[in-house]
Amino acid sequence: LFNTLAAVRVKLNTMLLYSRSSRAMNISTSGILRLNRSATYARSINASVSRKSFCLAADSKILEKSSVQTPKHTIQVLDENGKDVTPRPVYQPDPAAVQSKHSKIFASDTSGGTMSDFYSTTYQTTTNASFAGAFTRSLFGSGSVSIGSQSIMESMSEEIEDPSSKRDNSISLSDVQVKREEVKELIQEEMLDDMVDLYLVESDTLCLLDMPAISVSVDSMEAESVKERNSRYTELCKNRTGNDKYMGRSMQTFNGASKTKEVQSEAITMADAATIANNWDMYDSFCSAGQGEVDLSTDTDKASIAEMIHQNHGPTRTMERTMSVISSSTIVSSSSSRMEMEPFVVPSESKPDPELILQSEEFQQHLFVMERIILENIYQPKLAAYRQLPTLEGMVLLEESSLDEEGPPTPALERLWSFSCELTTGRNVSSMAWNKRNPDLLAVGYGQFAFKDQKPGLVCCWSLKNPSWPERIFTCQSGVTALDFSASSASMLAVGMHDGTIATYNVQSREKTPVIDSSDCVHKHTSPVWQVRWINHERALSGEDKGEALISVSADGRISKWFLRKDLMKLKRTRNDRFKRQVGEKERKSEALISRQAPGLCFDFHPTDSNIYLAGTEEGHIHKCSCSYNEQFLETYQAHKGPLYRITWSPFCSDVFLSCSSDWTIQLWRQDLFTPVLGFMSTQRAVYDVMWSPKWATVFGAVNEGRMEIWDLGASILDPTIVNPASPGVKLTSLLFATETDCVLVGDSDGQVSVYQLKNFTAGEGTQVGTLEDIIGSTLASQL
Amino acid sequence: MAEVEETLKRIQTHEGVIGTIVVNAEGIPIRTTLDNSTTVQYAGLLHQLTMKARSTVRDIDPQNDLTFLRIRSKKHEIMVAPDKEYMLIVIQNPSE
Repeated sequence: LFNTLAAVRVKLNTMLLYSRSSRAMNISTSGILRLNRSATYARSINASVSRKSFCLAADSKILEKSSVQTPKHTIQVLDENGKDVTPRPVYQPDPAAVQSKHSKIFASDTSGGTMSDFYSTTYQTTTNASFAGAFTRSLFGSGSVSIGSQSIMESMSEEIEDPSSKRDNSISLSDVQVKREEVKELIQEEMLDDMVDLYLVESDTLCLLDMPAISVSVDSMEAESVKERNSRYTELCKNRTGNDKYMGRSMQTFNGASKTKEVQSEAITMADAATIANNWDMYDSFCSAGQGEVDLSTDTDKASIAEMIHQNHGPTRTMERTMSVISSSTIVSSSSSRMEMEPFVVPSESKPDPELILQSEEFQQHLFVMERIILENIYQPKLAAYRQLPTLEGMVLLEESSLDEEGPPTPALERLWSFSCELTTGRNVSSMAWNKRNPDLLAVGYGQFAFKDQKPGLVCCWSLKNPSWPERIFTCQSGVTALDFSASSASMLAVGMHDGTIATYNVQSREKTPVIDSSDCVHKHTSPVWQVRWINHERALSGEDKGEALISVSADGRISKWFLRKDLMKLKRTRNDRFKRQVGEKERKSEALISRQAPGLCFDFHPTDSNIYLAGTEEGHIHKCSCSYNEQFLETYQAHKGPLYRITWSPFCSDVFLSCSSDWTIQLWRQDLFTPVLGFMSTQRAVYDVMWSPKWATVFGAVNEGRMEIWDLGASILDPTIVNPASPGVKLTSLLFATETDCVLVGDSDGQVSVYQLKNFTAGEGTQVGTLEDIIGSTLASQL
Repeated sequence: MAEVEETLKRIQTHEGVIGTIVVNAEGIPIRTTLDNSTTVQYAGLLHQLTMKARSTVRDIDPQNDLTFLRIRSKKHEIMVAPDKEYMLIVIQNPSE
């Protein structure tokens, strides 16, 4: 450290501090500033040299704000011996650094500043390359820097160099600033998980402040020389008494007249505001701000942006929340300043008309769900029993209490509930079908069997979740006699009617009209369609036959196969079968053979071979037919004496089928035998419907006019196992087993479909097929 | 529109249903089968509870939202279907 700063020669191009001139842009190349010693020089900066010369390569540089390129300027400090003692920079800039721009600070006006200030700030940073700005920035931030020093900085920064310095070493504040920003961004992009090694190194000692002592200790080595100098000085002063140069004098400065000024302003009103930001509140704001940003790029209209942001606010939002929205969005969007300037208006939402509410989609949906929930409350035990779940009663689970009973429990039927509503009362249930994909959906067709008192038919789709009102109601022009759901497109429902029309409905839509109607077809049926069935032909004869086709049988003696052509919107009939009336051989030989077609009443396709099917006629004949032969039957089974109402193959034994007819009997057949294996008769009533149980091979259900019977061949082949009489005055007309559960549905002539659960039915499983075959075998054996 | 009315009527006639209330977002009843003071009381109290329930659900997962609220008490069950513009309330006495 040097004790005194004897003289500093500074080459400045612009204002020289003591000259206090205006900002002269001309540059004097050799403006050397000689500084006298003064107390304020105590704040000297750099080391070791007594005097420093501060050379700034002067050139014709102008202090301009706009100049981007600063010429290279170096500051060299030379002591009186010409030694280069320019302080080395603490910060070494990148040689490829961007040319510095003049920062705003440099553009500031010059004003008188003291050299001392200048030294205090500049010398730490001046180096070969002029970094006037580099460290002054840090100093500016940290300490109080006078404007004068700033101006000096800027003046220095424009120095033109001496030839040796590099051109691109100049760095200004803004330059450093930019550099720092770049570095920052880089870090953000990199992986934050990287292990970064930090090396701590001791840098060179910088001397920032040196205040040499004025007094010297008596014991020090210099004491003698100092004393001698002091004495010499007093001698000198004594010799020069009277000389103005060596006299101490005092000065007085002018004090400006002071004046007090008062300013009054409006009181700043404060208001407390608080808000709670929930997790979802922040999420909503973020989502809506994200939407706002997307639209910003497209729509430059301020009003719409503000409107959009406001639309996302609920009515409970306060002003503060809108503020939070906007402030969060400033991070997101670039034109945030635009948004902040928007006037904040609490959105006035439109009050929806009460009628509009009632008609809205959501309201209807809510009503729908609510109704189901209410019904679930009411029907919960029944539905639970249906689904074979333990029932809740007063929040206590009831286990199956059948174990408490003594002795083997008798199989019984328990009535769970019935599907009926005011629309269906008085109508005759003619057919029922489960949906193939949704096992909770049931389609019921209502129509009279007899020719007289025909009224328009009705098809209702019921859901298990709502036994009191059907999900879909379709009114048809004539009584419905047959129903089937398609398997391939599960929402297609085929309906056969009393006047011979076949229509298909789409139950998914809310339309009341059929999708396709066969009334336009040329070859449509002319008599009631007694059964329709969707059949999937895997082995197709031609390309056309693949896929699902609709087969129908009608009283005009034809079995027709229908295709749905989507583009033509017409049913196309491709094939038909005719029933030939079998003339009794003996009695009517004399009469001419009148080949008439016998009305067909039912049919059933073989469960595995979709080419073979059985058809039953009004005369009591069962014909086995094949799809490949149109004219001939393969076999004929004759046993019944009355019209056959139902034929059904056993789902377990592929050779066995059942038939029921109005001659009070149910017959069990085997495919290869032309006489029935077993016959069942319980009452003297026509049997309207029979169906194999989908779960047990030896069980089937039958319904006749007065009662419903469940037969278990494993238990008894003479009597039905369970008998359930119908309510008086009501005839039971159709029967349907539920696929997943132990329930049976029975339709009656009063429009009710009752659901019964089979209780204590332990028919066993698995060996059922064997049991059935054993029964058949034993029966045959006994007949021999 | 008629379907909505029909459904509302059907709901009211189900077994055990004590009352049905439809209020708009401000608490003004649109349709109600109970007297006005009871309606206003139910609407006000349930509105607050629904807000709290919705806030709870969304706090756990902001992408979730409340669809239905059922309160079972000793005497009845109150079922609330909340929405932005309205609230549907049904009070039922369950069969057991």
